[in-house]
This record gives sequence, structure tokens and C-alpha cells, in this order.
Amino acid sequence: MRNRSLPLQTLATAVATVAVLTGASTVLFSLAIAAMFALTFAVPAASQDFGKAYSFAERAPGSQVERTIDTLLPSIVKIHGASGLATISAFASGILVSKDGHILTVDQIMLQPERTRVVLYDGSVHVATLLPADDRLGVRLLKIDPQQVTGELRPLWPGADTSFRTGQFVVSLGNCFRLAEFSEKVSATFGVVVGRANTALRYRMTDVKYDGDIILTDACNNPGHFGGGLFALDGRWLGLNLKLIDSKETNTMLSAAIPLTDLLPYLEEHVRGKPRSAAAPKGDPAWLGAVLFEQAGRQSPPAYVERVLPDSPAAKLGLRNDDLIVRLDDFSIRTCRELREMLGKFRPGQQVKVTWKRGTEVMTGEVELGKEPSR
Amino acid sequence: MIIALTLAATAWQDPLATTQASEARRVAVVARCAPAVCSVMAMDAPGGGSGVIIDPAGFVLTNYHVVGEPDKDWKLLVPAPGAAELATWKQKNPNAGEAEERAFAEAWQTAWRTEHAPAGTRQYKNKKVGLPDGQLYEGVVLGIDPGSDLAVLRLLPKREGQTWPACPLGDSDALLVGETVFAMGNPFLLATDFTPTVTFGIVSGTHRYQEGGGNRMLVYPDCIQVDAPVNPGNSGGPLFNEAGEVVGINGRISIGDRGRVNVGVGFAIASNQIANFLGDLLAGRHTEHGTLDMSAWFMGSRNGNEPVQQRRGVFVQQLFKDSVAALAGIGLGDEILRFDGTEVRSANQLATLVGVLPAGAWVTVWHRPALADGGFGDERRVTLRLSALDTGSSFDTGEDAWLASRADRRLATAGLLARWTVADEPAGAVAWSAINPKEVPHRAVADGERLLLDRGDVVLVREGAGRGFAREGDRVRELTADEAERLRREWTCNPMLWQPAVARTRLRDALLVGGVHVHGAPAYRFALPGEGDCEAWFFADGSPAGCAFRDPLRKARVERHVRSDQLRFVVDGKLEPGWSAGKRTIGTADEAWFRRQP
Repeated sequence: MRNRSLPLQTLATAVATVAVLTGASTVLFSLAIAAMFALTFAVPAASQDFGKAYSFAERAPGSQVERTIDTLLPSIVKIHGASGLATISAFASGILVSKDGHILTVDQIMLQPERTRVVLYDGSVHVATLLPADDRLGVRLLKIDPQQVTGELRPLWPGADTSFRTGQFVVSLGNCFRLAEFSEKVSATFGVVVGRANTALRYRMTDVKYDGDIILTDACNNPGHFGGGLFALDGRWLGLNLKLIDSKETNTMLSAAIPLTDLLPYLEEHVRGKPRSAAAPKGDPAWLGAVLFEQAGRQSPPAYVERVLPDSPAAKLGLRNDDLIVRLDDFSIRTCRELREMLGKFRPGQQVKVTWKRGTEVMTGEVELGKEPSR
Repeated sequence: MIIALTLAATAWQDPLATTQASEARRVAVVARCAPAVCSVMAMDAPGGGSGVIIDPAGFVLTNYHVVGEPDKDWKLLVPAPGAAELATWKQKNPNAGEAEERAFAEAWQTAWRTEHAPAGTRQYKNKKVGLPDGQLYEGVVLGIDPGSDLAVLRLLPKREGQTWPACPLGDSDALLVGETVFAMGNPFLLATDFTPTVTFGIVSGTHRYQEGGGNRMLVYPDCIQVDAPVNPGNSGGPLFNEAGEVVGINGRISIGDRGRVNVGVGFAIASNQIANFLGDLLAGRHTEHGTLDMSAWFMGSRNGNEPVQQRRGVFVQQLFKDSVAALAGIGLGDEILRFDGTEVRSANQLATLVGVLPAGAWVTVWHRPALADGGFGDERRVTLRLSALDTGSSFDTGEDAWLASRADRRLATAGLLARWTVADEPAGAVAWSAINPKEVPHRAVADGERLLLDRGDVVLVREGAGRGFAREGDRVRELTADEAERLRREWTCNPMLWQPAVARTRLRDALLVGGVHVHGAPAYRFALPGEGDCEAWFFADGSPAGCAFRDPLRKARVERHVRSDQLRFVVDGKLEPGWSAGKRTIGTADEAWFRRQP
């Protein structure tokens, strides 16, 4: 019936023919209606409306999960960045957080100025500018020009309740494996919150900079899915999908997200211009007094001691030049950065057990951490 | 009153009750579907996949990569007549000598071969099919679709008239992201008693285009992405919706760094795509996918440089000069607007729309030709016939395209007829008209053995088998031989003139010969016995879809593709544009039409 352009006369002939056979006026009437429809559909669609994602023959969303996903999908964007190295995946997801075109995503190497493109749910492609990243969180805001967007921008903003419970059902949205292109819908996966964990877990340091608690979930997180969102079934936004956390030691992988509460101050500052409340440091950081050997150009140098400062806790321990610090209490240390971050969790005066390697020998000692002397 | 209301509200919202109710529903659906899920294995090789019975007659849907390629060393073993049969013959011919007995056996074997030998020269060895009832059946590979990784098997019954629990195909286009689905199958061949493994998840994406992958480069043109765990061994197994209908066949997973196991991204071949090929598969064919032999390219807006709405759409990027698209007038740089009535919004979508159609399907494409000055011409509409896509997995079509025997096709025909859902119509004469490009209606009325064909200038009347006359104006004359034959063929194979009850009788001796795509919907072609290559076409529900026969008057093979008022008239493979169909009506025929003297 659709897209037929029949001259009305033809149909009139048909009507006459059938009427001869049956003499039924109802047939005449129904055919007349058919003719009207034929004409309605014969009008070519003149306007090129790219304002909504295509669907083939989808029904209206019914269940709560379907409704939630349907509502949230327009806020999830596809991000394409600089590529070149096989090890760098050049695609990710992001979440639209303002009508001004702010997009929240996980910070990564592929996000380069001029080379970062954002694809909205309507299939339109926009070059994004980069706003300052938050190194502690490992997230970054992108911005597109809202003037260039013809469709409606449907941003998400953290709600009053961003709490989550272990065992609660969640839906995770993101463009995993870059399966969706242009206006195609990004992927949705379903799961439960498995628990909350601390990122003192060890994983590839280049992947995730975030050092707070994370939401663990069994809703699958694959390459490209990160930067997308984790949502409760009622549509509440709970977190920002992280890259897959991968442990080479145990050969396990975890899907995780940063809880939204931790992201709010960053969003408030860069999207709404509210200065972050200067969080007062909870006291001075702990000081060991070992100067580390940070080789230039190496991404994650191991924590080799280059020099031990006199009268420092390190000196009291008996650390020497070329010792390799491998453990603080029960936490293994693989890089200089990990050692610095771990020390940041201690306060002066705390006792700490240090394990180090000297040649082939492993040595252990316990010492009270100090405070860095003012210069 | 208030308390009662509150209680009711609480009961409604009680999460435990809701969860238990949905669990009970799920358990019931799984219990109903599980008996139709099977394990498919080779007779003499390790490994295997899954499948699902889609028809009580024992037709099993699975992946092409589960059945593999035809066996090179396959040989047809023709049995000898059974002892009982031989004894009966000897009783009837007590004086027959050895030579006569040999002649009887040879004749019997020839008859057996006609009925049971596959029409093509390639064939599969039978597969082992394990059902959840713990029984192992033999499965004959009937039809294969290497283009989108599908195969159909027929179970060999262990007793006369055996039927199997089956699950119907559902509507995959109605699937929505977030909808609950179950995958069933035998991952890692865990179940040695063939009870299927059930995994649960949601639809993660619909209409995904997955390029050819794996060593056979099987394309998944329009698949359903699910997060229900799908693992090796699940291949060929069904994906069910909450109603227990088969909405897909699980065949492929995306893998990350984790090896060949599930990462929450599985792909199922959509049931609506399967339906497009089911006719060919059940008829025992090697199916071919359609192609426009061109590739398109999507251009998004480049912000800042050009106004957004300009140069935004799907454009022809590559085109074979001898492709059906080029021959129909589509050129490089043209903008593709619509395909068979669906707005084209991305290059992927166009690939999806084309990829799910069989070769030979007639489609309509709306495009705007690219002009030399960089602009575009007026919108054009072209109707063309998709050519066959070379998937690289195809073997020679033609003679080798047939895998099934007449007996298999007979069973498939019976199975399809049993599924018809057409409502009973009142008895009477059936009238149908086709309006030609000059807007002259060609009218046909069938009343039992009688048939009237009114083509405006000439009226041909069949009074019964072998009798009839022609009327031109007031002049009445005898039929020519060609006219008489033309009437017979029309009467034999035009299902638009049949009532449902008549259709079942007429198709009793018919054989399924394949599928055909009629105005966007899959239909089945049934060959009728007798001269003229007569075929009657029906949609899955039993409503008529058209017919084909050799027209002795036009000296050409004609096809009529009919769906409601849409009619495509194809003569020797070429479209005769401008035809449309009138309404099909039932009433009382005017006796004067069938009388020689008015």
C-alpha cells in the first residue's frame, strides 16, 4: 500500500469492475478509502528529517527496562579519536551532560585536539574541543557547538539519588566494539552490581587513573563501551563506565564504573562554573625520604631508590642506593607513581612495613613515617 | 477502605511477588521451548552445534557453519526392494523368471531414485541430531544459506507419522533494545543427554550489520545483538523472546582479548531475515543473497564548514558498470533516499536492507542523480531485480543448487500447508482483476471448473476441462489451441482465483520449489503438475502471493507478484511497469458470462 502512486482513475476502474461482480456498495466504500490512503502515501517525503534515529518496524517500548533504555539512548554519544597505534582503540562512548554540548567521557590518549569527533544519536558528526581533564578521576569533558546541532540535545545530569546497592539490577550503555555507526543505537547490556571495590587493586596504570572506590558490575564492558553510563532500571544515573580492568596475574577482567558522586564536583566546576570547594588536606602527606630513580621517557619506572636523604625514615630503615621498593604494608608497589600514591594514603607518624629488594635478596623493615622537612 | 487500597497497592508493588511471577513465566516459557532445542553433530567428527525444530514435521534450523560444506565422498546408496515387497510381487507373478525379477527390482530402484535421490550432484552425509528427550536422530541436510550462515535439516522419523515439538518463528523487527531474550543450545557440548543450556539476557542492539568474518566469511547482514551468554557450541541454537518464539539463530560472538568465549556480545540472525530464505531452504536449495553491486557511503555534517543539512546523506561510492543498479540508472555520487519505502539513514542500514533479501527479489529504490555542477537532480524511482552476491562460500549453482529429494520437498509442502491460518470464506465464484498500464482491467472469474478471462477486447471462457469459446464484441468463436491452453494454465495455477479449501486440494500434488520475495514479504513457490511450468505462490499464512507459468499466447514466461493492490507483472524476467491489482471478491457468478448465446 505504501508509496504507491496510482492515478485515481485506475482505481475508479477497479472499483467499477468489482462492483459489477458483487453489487456490494460496502466494497465500493472500502476501496474508496484505499484510494485515499494510496494518495496520502504517494506524496514523496520532501523534508530530509535526520532528527531521529531510524527504526525499521519497532514497537513502542513496553517493559521498564525497554522504557529506560529508550529514554536514555539519546544522551549517549559515540566518540572517535586519533588513531595510529594498534594498541590504542580510537573509539569510545560519552554522555551528554548539558544543553551547551558538554560531553563527559573517560580521559585517554586518543582524545586529541582537532582529532576528536562526537557522533550524536541522530547521526550528526561534530568536532569536539577538549576541556581540562581531571587527572585524579581520569575523566575529561568534551564540548561540541550546540548551534550545529539540528535535533534536540537531551543531556543527563546526576540526580539527587546516585546511590547503589550490591545486587541491584543495572543497565550499561555504550558503543562496544564500535558496533553502532552514526544514528544506529549504541549497545545495552544488563547485569547486577557485584560490589564496591577500591582501586588499590592492581591493573594497567595507563588505563585508569581513578583512585577511589569503583562500582563492580557483571554488565559486560567491552572495548568502546567505556565513557558510557551505568544506570539503575528506573533510569537513575549511577556511574561512568571505566575501561575493562584487567589483571595479568589472575587472568581476570572486571567491568567497572566510577560512582557518580565522585564526578559531581568536576562536572559542577566545568559545566556549571561552580568553583570546587577547596577540600582541605587531611594533614600533611607521609614522607619516606627516599629519592626515586625516575628514568626519563619511561612510562612506569619501577621504584628504584636513587638517593636516601639523611635522617629520613628511609635512612632509619637502612635503605640504600639501587634498592627496589616492592611493598608497603600489604600493597605491592610496581612503579614510582604507585609508591607516591600509596604514601599519600598514609599520614606522618604511622608505622609502615616496607619490603625492598637488594640484588637478589628481599629485605623487610618497619619504620615510622615522617613529615617532609620544610625547605 | 483506605486500608484495603493500601494493601492492594502493596501487593501490586511487592517486589518479591513481581519477581516470583516473572520467574514463573520464564520457567514456563523455557519448559515449553526446551523440547524443540537440539544438538547437531557430524556422524564421524568431534564438535558440534545447536539447532531448533521450527516445524512439527521435523525441520530443524541451524547454522551453515555447523553443517559445514557438502561431503565430497558422498554416494547415494539405493536400497533393494524389501523382502515383503518382493514376496508380494512373486505371489502376483508366480511364473516369473530371474530376468523378470531383476527387471522388477530395477524398476523399483528407478522409482525410488526419482523420489528419494537429491536433484543436485552434491550432498551431505546425514548429521546426528540429539533431542532433549535423550534420543539421537539422523538429520538430512536439506537447504543451505552460506550467505548468511543458515542451514535447514530434516529429522528422520523413528516411527511412522512421527511429529516433534516445534517453536514458531517470531517477528524480529518487533524486538526492542532492552527486551528480555533467552538463548538456548548446547555450549561446549556440556549436556551429554542433550538437555539444552539456557542463558538469559537483553537485546543489546538491533539491525546490526556484521561483515564477513571467520574462515568462511559469513556475512550477518541484519543481526540481533544480545548480552545473553553465547559460547562455542551455541552456534545454530535459537534465541527466544519472552513469548517463546524463535526471533533469531545465535551464530556469532564478538570476542575481545578473552579468547573464543563470551564477552557479552553475541549476534543472532534475525528471524525475519530467515523467513526471507525459508522457502528456498525448505525446498532443498542452496540459496543466494541479493546485491545491488554497489557500495554506499554516509556523509555526516562537517561542522563549521557547510550548512548542516547540505550534503548529508547516503551517497553511492562504488558501482559496477554492469550492476543492476547502474543498468537501472543509478550513478556514482547519487544520493540514495529510500529503499523499498524505508528511509535510508546510513550506509550500514542500506547494506542491512539489501543483505536480508534473496537474489532475484524486486526492489524499489528512490534516488537523486548527482549532477555535473555538484548539485542533485530530481528524485527518481527505479524498480530493479537484485543480482546474486558472490559470498565466496557458494559452490556452483544450477544443478548443484539442489540438495533435497522429491520426498523431502513433498514433506516440506505438507508442513507448510498445515501451518496455513487463512479464515474460511463463503463458497462462491471468485473474481479478481489486474489493471494494465493503459488502465484497462483484465478481469478473471472462476466458478468451479469454469473460468472467464476478460481482457477488454477478447473474452475467453472455459466451460469445463477441454471446452470453451471466445467472444470478440458480439462474435462468438471456438478457442484456438493456445487460448485453450492459456485458460487451463490460468485455472491451474492462479491462486487469486482459489478459495482456501480449494487451494489445499489443488496443492495436494504440488511440490515446493523455493521462495520468492513478493512486495517486501516472503512467499513460497509451489510447482503444479502438468505442462507449462505452472507455479502458485502463497505467503506463509496461506494468502495468495501470485503465480508463474509459460503463457502460450505471449510465448513467454510470465510472473505475477501480488500483494493487496500491488501487482508486478514480469515477462521473461523483465518488468512490465504500470500494472496494479484490483480487489479479490467472492460472490455469485452471472450465468450469462458462461453461455455461448447471451
